[in-house]
Amino acid sequence: MKRSDFPMLGYGVGLRRQHYNHVLEARPKVDWFEVVSENFMVEGGRALEVLEGVRANYPIVMHGVSMSIGSTDPLNRDYLRQLRELARRFEPAWISDHLCWTGVGGRNLHDLLPLPYTEEAIGHVVARIGEVQDTLERPILIENVSSYMAFGDSTMTEWEFISTIANEADCGILLDINNIFVSAFNHRFDANDYVDAVPPERVVQYHLAGHSDHGTYLLDTHDHPVRDEVWALYERAARRFGAVSAIVEWDDNIPEFAELADTANRARDIFNEYSTGTTARPALPADHRS
Amino acid sequence: MSTQLEQLQGLLYRLITAVSGVAQGLAAERDLGATGLDALVLGDDRLSAEARVDIYANMYFYRILDALKEDFPATLAVLGADDFHNLVTGYLLEYPPTQPSISECGRHLADYLQRHPMRERAPFIADLAQLERASAEVFQGPDAAPLDPDALRSIAPADWPALKFKLNPSAQMLALDWQVSELLRAIEEHREWKPAEQGAVKVLVWRNNARVFYRDLEKVELDALEAISRGTTFSEICDLVAADASIEDPIATMNQMLARWLSDRLLTSVSSPC
Repeated sequence: MKRSDFPMLGYGVGLRRQHYNHVLEARPKVDWFEVVSENFMVEGGRALEVLEGVRANYPIVMHGVSMSIGSTDPLNRDYLRQLRELARRFEPAWISDHLCWTGVGGRNLHDLLPLPYTEEAIGHVVARIGEVQDTLERPILIENVSSYMAFGDSTMTEWEFISTIANEADCGILLDINNIFVSAFNHRFDANDYVDAVPPERVVQYHLAGHSDHGTYLLDTHDHPVRDEVWALYERAARRFGAVSAIVEWDDNIPEFAELADTANRARDIFNEYSTGTTARPALPADHRS
Repeated sequence: MSTQLEQLQGLLYRLITAVSGVAQGLAAERDLGATGLDALVLGDDRLSAEARVDIYANMYFYRILDALKEDFPATLAVLGADDFHNLVTGYLLEYPPTQPSISECGRHLADYLQRHPMRERAPFIADLAQLERASAEVFQGPDAAPLDPDALRSIAPADWPALKFKLNPSAQMLALDWQVSELLRAIEEHREWKPAEQGAVKVLVWRNNARVFYRDLEKVELDALEAISRGTTFSEICDLVAADASIEDPIATMNQMLARWLSDRLLTSVSSPC
């Protein structure tokens, strides 16, 4: 697969419950919405009504949090079947989830835990992505997660890990720019190296979000505006990858919809500046790793 | 034979969910070896390996605590934040999440409360949690088109006795030992609330459009709705109502109930004998 297999959706917003009525009634000017798949994997009711209404007016993408592609548990077939049914009904432009594990032993931690960057993990994840793509009858995107721990067994960098998996599994990458920044701080690597190494043809989507600073570590809380350093990293990505669909995520302390739309528009403006080559911006400051 | 990845994930799961924290969880890991966690998880001068796992342990607990607070606001209001926190600590040990959706985490909270010492202070708390959980389930229960009153009016009188109604599949009837409906309503409306009175009650929980409603059922309506659920014909339901000695005018009562069920969108279809 390559990026041109997917539509360029433009600049959108992660759909959250607080904005359901506004989106349905005011039909705000954003290009597209990303929805959390699990929020709509229900039998009926308000959520599915809302999604019908949103889908009638916007392209959508389904973004999951519980596929647990890196878990050593068997893939959850019921989950995948439900996901496939939801996709058949709402026809998302694509489906994504995280390069992580969310539970083991039949238990779910409801968190996105990192994998060791090893050949064993690559083989494990690549095989499972293949099964998922066969079940969903489409290529998926995998997202880099924010992480707070790294493993002694790792034999490569995170960007080598995700790039190898995407290439071998023939899937796309959802590049979360904020997650790169958060993990770069937490593990003391250069975020620029990450952006510079990911294969451009695999990058189908960006996430932009805010995080919180806990002094000794950054936490991916999605409760703040996108920080300037993350915008700088996005600019670098925009220059390297060209036109890539992007969305803004906000999950706590959620502001009025207009602020989200403004953030999406800022992402658009930055890309437009670089696509015309009219503006020179400074590179990410050298001391961003603290 | 388990792989390295499997062993690592199993260890991290145990540490993250250890009830007294990662440090105590580590103490229980006798097979971890001399280098312990530090050989597996990289620490540095900012954060030790244990502190890094602890970040995940905190996120695990507080993410689920926040989800349960959102799904059980009345249970939270009655118990208070500290006791609710302690409740969830014990609950997650007995009922660790197993489902992909975090909204399923509260599925067993009412069952857990039935056996919990907090019932001594608030004996109605399990029933209150059960009603809150049912409301959440009804909210996202299966869709079904409501029965059109005009379609009902067009049915020939001779066909009415054999008619069979169907209840909305998302509706639930709860058998509770405490009268918690008023308590829940008071908390939802931010009014002063009083502890629920003891007394067996059946509560109907249903969805009308996107809103969830609940009300205690009188015996005659309960009997009628249960009869509908069993696939009983309209004439048999009328017989049930007529046999209730407390009902002065069975026909008027039946009409009132039918009108209310239609208005509440509680009925979804009707089948005639042919």
